Amino acid sequence: MGSNSSNMNHIPDGQQLLQDTGFSAAQIIRLYERFEFLDKDNTGHLRPEDLETVPDLDMNPIGARIIGAFFPPGKETLDFGSFVRILAHFLPADSNRTRAGAQQEPANSTTGKLRFAFQLYDQDRDGKISRDELLQVLRSMLGLQVTEEQLQCIAERAIQEADADKDDAISFDEFRKSLEKVDIDHKMSIRFLR
Amino acid sequence: MTSRRGSHSPAGFGKSLPERGLLLLVLLVLLEGSVLPLGAAGSPDTSHHTKAGNSAGNGTGNVTHKKAFPVLSLDYHHIQTPFEISLWVLLASLMKLGFHLIPRLSGIVPESCLLIVVGLMVGGLIKLAGEEVPPVLDSQFFFLCLLPPIILDAGYFLPIRPFMENLGTILIFAVIGTLWNAFFIGGLLYAVCQIQPANPSNLHQLELLPCLLFGSIVSAVDPVAVLAVFEEIHINELLHILVFGESLLNDAVTVVLYHLFEEFSEVGTVTVLDCVLGIISFLVVACGGVLVGAIYGILAAFTSRFTSHTRVIEPLFVFVYSYMAYLSAEMFHLSGIMALIACGAVMRPYVEANISHKSHTTIKYFLKMWSSVSETLIFIFLGVATVDGKHDWNWTFVTVTVILCLVARVIGVVGLTYMINKFRIVKLTTKDQFIIAYGGLRGAIAFSLGFLLKKELFPLREMFLTAIITVIFFTVFVQGMTIKPLVELLAVKKKQEAKRSINEEIHTQFLDHLLTGIEDICGHYGHHHWKDKLNRFNKKYVKKCLIAGERSKEPQLIAFYHKLEMKQAIELVESGGGVKMPSAMPSTVSMQNIQPKKPPLAKPVERALPQLPKGREEEIRKILRSNLQRTRQRLRSYNRHTLVADPYEDGLGDLLIKKQKMIELEKKIKDMNNYLTVPAAPPDSPTMCRARLASDPQAYHTKSVSDSVPAIQVDLASPQSPDSVNMMDEFRRAGQQQQQQEDQGLTMRPPSRPGEAGGARDPQKLTRCLSDPGPSADEEEDEPFLCWFLSRPKQR
Repeated sequence: MGSNSSNMNHIPDGQQLLQDTGFSAAQIIRLYERFEFLDKDNTGHLRPEDLETVPDLDMNPIGARIIGAFFPPGKETLDFGSFVRILAHFLPADSNRTRAGAQQEPANSTTGKLRFAFQLYDQDRDGKISRDELLQVLRSMLGLQVTEEQLQCIAERAIQEADADKDDAISFDEFRKSLEKVDIDHKMSIRFLR
Repeated sequence: MTSRRGSHSPAGFGKSLPERGLLLLVLLVLLEGSVLPLGAAGSPDTSHHTKAGNSAGNGTGNVTHKKAFPVLSLDYHHIQTPFEISLWVLLASLMKLGFHLIPRLSGIVPESCLLIVVGLMVGGLIKLAGEEVPPVLDSQFFFLCLLPPIILDAGYFLPIRPFMENLGTILIFAVIGTLWNAFFIGGLLYAVCQIQPANPSNLHQLELLPCLLFGSIVSAVDPVAVLAVFEEIHINELLHILVFGESLLNDAVTVVLYHLFEEFSEVGTVTVLDCVLGIISFLVVACGGVLVGAIYGILAAFTSRFTSHTRVIEPLFVFVYSYMAYLSAEMFHLSGIMALIACGAVMRPYVEANISHKSHTTIKYFLKMWSSVSETLIFIFLGVATVDGKHDWNWTFVTVTVILCLVARVIGVVGLTYMINKFRIVKLTTKDQFIIAYGGLRGAIAFSLGFLLKKELFPLREMFLTAIITVIFFTVFVQGMTIKPLVELLAVKKKQEAKRSINEEIHTQFLDHLLTGIEDICGHYGHHHWKDKLNRFNKKYVKKCLIAGERSKEPQLIAFYHKLEMKQAIELVESGGGVKMPSAMPSTVSMQNIQPKKPPLAKPVERALPQLPKGREEEIRKILRSNLQRTRQRLRSYNRHTLVADPYEDGLGDLLIKKQKMIELEKKIKDMNNYLTVPAAPPDSPTMCRARLASDPQAYHTKSVSDSVPAIQVDLASPQSPDSVNMMDEFRRAGQQQQQQEDQGLTMRPPSRPGEAGGARDPQKLTRCLSDPGPSADEEEDEPFLCWFLSRPKQR
């Protein structure tokens, strides 16, 4: 695609997004097309119901959580800027361009990605994954196939393993540590088409 | 035929083990060298002898004059073939033994090199003896007997996840890389052969097609060699799977190119139609091979669903189906290797869910054993065949081949990586590229393919073979030996000793779901989307068909969790209970069969227990010590193909149970004047017994879960050692007493009664224990645990 700054005029905050996130202009345009597709009533904002219409998301065990991540508590609508910023977490880390005024920690760095994932666990935003939160996640992932006791055991064991400071919950650092062997950059990246 | 056996006498018992090993090696080689010609020479003699005997016998029939009945006769001919085969296998295995006795050597030189050298020596010996070297690397034998075990081993244990994630890259390297190599080498070789018009040599009669054929033979990276070398350098998973996957998948390309050029060589001309047919043929070969393999894999999985009553032949199904997949593919000239890989990879998850743990261990060990022996034999035969074959050394041809191989590989890898990196999330660095290029080893497959060439069509066949052997030697020796130091030098990431934690597993699955969701939101049907779809299809339809009983519904996380618990329990036993687990321990031991249920854990229960008199305490210690002896199982970590120490050996299960019981017992005595303090045992794994208990058929019966608290039983029907029976019975009786149930095995209940006066029961249980002190305590070994354990009473 040629110079896209002109095509981006109709995208709200297009230039700003170009700078803040790591997306290329082509990617932003594509995302905008997707945004418009999802935005059935053309209000320029997305609501949770719009996201729920995405096929297959209802079959996803943590589908509700993901939708929840786009809509932080208190916000009922999602504008394009926030949409893109959240999706920016999933850019591969080495597509970082040096941007003037880049934030301390770009969203798609390993820490940024992990923090996003952590927030999905930690629904009450207290900075820790408590046993209950872990149990909820396990319940949603494993569903009806296991008994409550098994879930408890697994959650118990998981917390034992990860909990370094013995506060019976998993903090962000402990979370990060337990995933140190996993290639987060690879695992949490989507190849956004150019 | 003089016997050389006497020529070397192992003198000096004071020599150290490595030297003795070396001596042993030389002895063995000489032995081998002397026996084989003896065999070959002996057979005509004995056959004469028997013939003479017969004629004499016939003569007797006519003339009736008595001949002495042969009390002892030598009939080597009768057993010659199997005997020689066994001798070769024995030689191979003894060589392997010998190498590992000499640690210095195996550190510097990869095993494959040593084996080739041994082969050279044996071949040399045989030649020196004046005998004809047996045509050991017969292509038929190689492709039908030696190669399949190695490939099956690789395919069955192929790490699916990294393989699938990098499938695109692997395919590009395998297909396009091999094509590039073949044409580059073949073409340039032809060009080089054509120069020097002033000095006509027999090189000039080399035409293009034979050159291309040669190129295609020599360009393929060999899985056997790669496995042999790479498994010793412990490189990181990504590089390993890239090079290894490439070596497996390029078989299809090699097969097609080989047949293509062979056909064309006969005809002499190539048309465009032929090229198109060639491409189609490639697709047919590759996909057909995979399809055949998958079909057999599904058949095997389906068969294993019904084997719950005949556990003993389960491994047989795996082997036979896989081998038939290979043979069927070869029958249609499809890619046998890909069939084998597909078969192994497809059947594995289902078969493993169905078969007993012992069968699983059997399969694992048999595969490792066969592939190990096969590989050793291949390298030795390579050495022997080198000595044997007629060689036609042509400096130009050989050196140019070697150089071109290297150059082609480097250019190919660099060029392809440049293209591939545009599509990869995790790019391949220069270091990676170097290792991939350097790891392109050639091996016995190339040699066998060359061996198959017909002399009439390829007058320069000997020259080809010589060049192939030189390339093989070069890659295996030079590249094989130097790759390890290079890996160290370049500080390439090594394989992480991954001990997956439950956290990792949970989070990885969580992230999978997350990414799938995000992909759906973006409308981007990527990697995760399809993987998720496949998983769902698998769970919904395939698993129901192919997995027997309840296991079909067991989610992956649970299976993983059980495995983890099992491992931990075993580790606990090994370390003698020194592992301190902060979690609670149920008051009774948990056993489990197929139903994955588990009672909740409880916090440690403080029980008021009566004091144990000192004498009793001694008895307890004796009992514990004597029974803990047997938990020290020998764990040898088998070096080959990353076969880690497998603690899954017979009898361990009962010991685990015993151990758990003992720990529980100790826990109960814990409060007694601090005599005996032991850490709490880890929560018991349900699957522990599933795997461990001896007689498998009885060990599994699904108990309908009627109680709110699941109580699972297990049959201790195994033939246990007489010593342990007493203890087991004790516990069982104690357990039963405790339960007041007519249970057949040990049952579990949650420790739901903290305030219970366990004291009343416990002394009874204790006395029961103590009244039967069990087997006589063997005092040889002092377990560290026991030392610690016994020293504790000092502390207050």
